[in-house]
Amino acid sequence: MEYIVETNRLTKRFGKELAVNGLDIKIPKGEIYGFLGPNGAGKTTTIRMLLGLMHPTSGTVKVFGKDLAKERIEILKQIGSLVENPSYYPHLTAYENLETIRKIYGAPMERINDVLTIVGLSDVAKKKVKGFSLGMKQRLGIAASLLNNPQLLILDEPTNGLDPSGIIEIRNLLKQLAAEYGITILISSHLLSEIDQIATSVGVISKGNLIFQDSIESMRLYSMRKILLKVNNSERAWHLLISRGVKADYEKEIISLSNMSDDDIAEVVRLLVENGYSIYRVEEEKRSLEDTFLQMTSEASGI
Amino acid sequence: MIGKLLQVEFMKLKRKGIWFLVFLGPFGVVSLQMVNYGVRKEWFLHQGTYNWDYYVLNVSAITPFALILGIVILTSFMASIENETNTWKQMLALPITRWSVYLSKYTTLLFLLIIASSLLAIFSLLFGIYLDFQNDIPYVDIIRYSFYPLFAALPVLGLQLWISTVIQNQGLPITVGVIGVILAYMAYFIPDWLIWKWPSLDNQWNEPLLNVYWGLAVGIGIYFVGMIDFIRRDVK
Ligand SMILES: Nc1ncnc2c1ncn2[C@@H]1O[C@H](COP(=O)(O)OP(=O)(O)OP(=O)(O)O)[C@@H](O)[C@H]1O
Ligand SMILES: [Mg+2]
Repeated sequence: MEYIVETNRLTKRFGKELAVNGLDIKIPKGEIYGFLGPNGAGKTTTIRMLLGLMHPTSGTVKVFGKDLAKERIEILKQIGSLVENPSYYPHLTAYENLETIRKIYGAPMERINDVLTIVGLSDVAKKKVKGFSLGMKQRLGIAASLLNNPQLLILDEPTNGLDPSGIIEIRNLLKQLAAEYGITILISSHLLSEIDQIATSVGVISKGNLIFQDSIESMRLYSMRKILLKVNNSERAWHLLISRGVKADYEKEIISLSNMSDDDIAEVVRLLVENGYSIYRVEEEKRSLEDTFLQMTSEASGI
Repeated sequence: MIGKLLQVEFMKLKRKGIWFLVFLGPFGVVSLQMVNYGVRKEWFLHQGTYNWDYYVLNVSAITPFALILGIVILTSFMASIENETNTWKQMLALPITRWSVYLSKYTTLLFLLIIASSLLAIFSLLFGIYLDFQNDIPYVDIIRYSFYPLFAALPVLGLQLWISTVIQNQGLPITVGVIGVILAYMAYFIPDWLIWKWPSLDNQWNEPLLNVYWGLAVGIGIYFVGMIDFIRRDVK
């Protein structure tokens, strides 16, 4: 499989603190990779290492199959990025800000107007950024990241400070970039709801450790594994299940089963029916992705 | 690549009033002489020191102090442009080498200081002509006293650029800068080995060129130390 980003035991230590601990991130081409983690998990630190802004304490980063430590400049030509809060020169206009970056890429002049249009800032192109709202500054940062027509976009909490319609706009833009141009996107967030709408794969980081990495579908499956049973005489039914070695919980007349395959569940139902119980309901508890994410991160911090 | 970076550096200086500062420094130095000669012309005549040579010495007495002050202000100006919203992280994620970023900052500063030194030479000459001394104009001395201090001040430039780019909090560079300005002001009372003395062109051998050589050698040394530190540091 061809990975656009591949890290190997990527680690960053600040003094005694392990901010990032042995990450093996793998991002296939064309994916929108949601990089999720609570505040202080190590997302920004990881992103800084992916861009060569910070040197890893140990481990390696490969982007486009090239070693970042050796071919940083070649790699960065194909990356657009936005790290943490937007950076800008307040005394320059939006256009001039982009010009400082365009010059270094050597991108064509028209590209500035293109990206300003893409993020909806054409009207204020000639205004000083000093007076921009946070959302406008964020858009400017996104515009800057698109100047070089990148193959890989690395965006650290890009919807920070945007209003709901702005968030939807950016989300649609990113989806479009991935769909039309096959751009690979890494987008970090501490909000699952944000990633859920856009990502095709997910990596969850907590306290510097990557605790989950798979497709968003797998994460959804992971979050829907609880089956609730309502039967007559439920407490006795629960005891029966326990005595047969089924892992079941009992609470408020409801028997709940977690981590079971479809076949296992069929087996449990058959068992109850054969023993004369009436089954009123078999329900899947829709645990939200949000709950799953919280549970994952709290489990990880419990260790 | 350096060419593009320099263009970008000058773009960033737009609307920052930096050109006014570059003008103000040498203008300030010469205006002090305007006051001096306005008030004491009779006295100079009486002492028999109303001539070009003495005038050039008078101007050059203030140059080192103004130069060090200018270096401190310009470098923290340049650093504040990137530090204000931490544009370092944006710039250094672009496909450019870090040494070229550092070199372009240094070159920009040096360029501004060369302009300031040239203005100093021009202003000194013009006011000198206005004063209508009787002897010949010492062109070489005017140029020497306008540019030697700059070369002798390169170590201070290197030091200020280094600390103001690698340290996000500008408290330390400003403190070091202020101490430097005071030392430059007291140049005749401090030991020869202190870099802040060098722009005064004073030393125990009475050979101004020595300060220029030391300035170039140590200046290049500090430049490289600063650049290597800048390259190796993590960007926050
Ligand atoms: N330059 C630094 N020096 C020391 N510690 C740091 C530095 N940068 C980050 N850290 C520490 O590393 C840990 C991870 O920080 P990081 O900024 O990567 O988290 P994050 O996941 O981006 O959080 P957030 O959602 O708040 O942006 C934190 O505990 C932080 O205090
Ligand atoms: Mg962060």
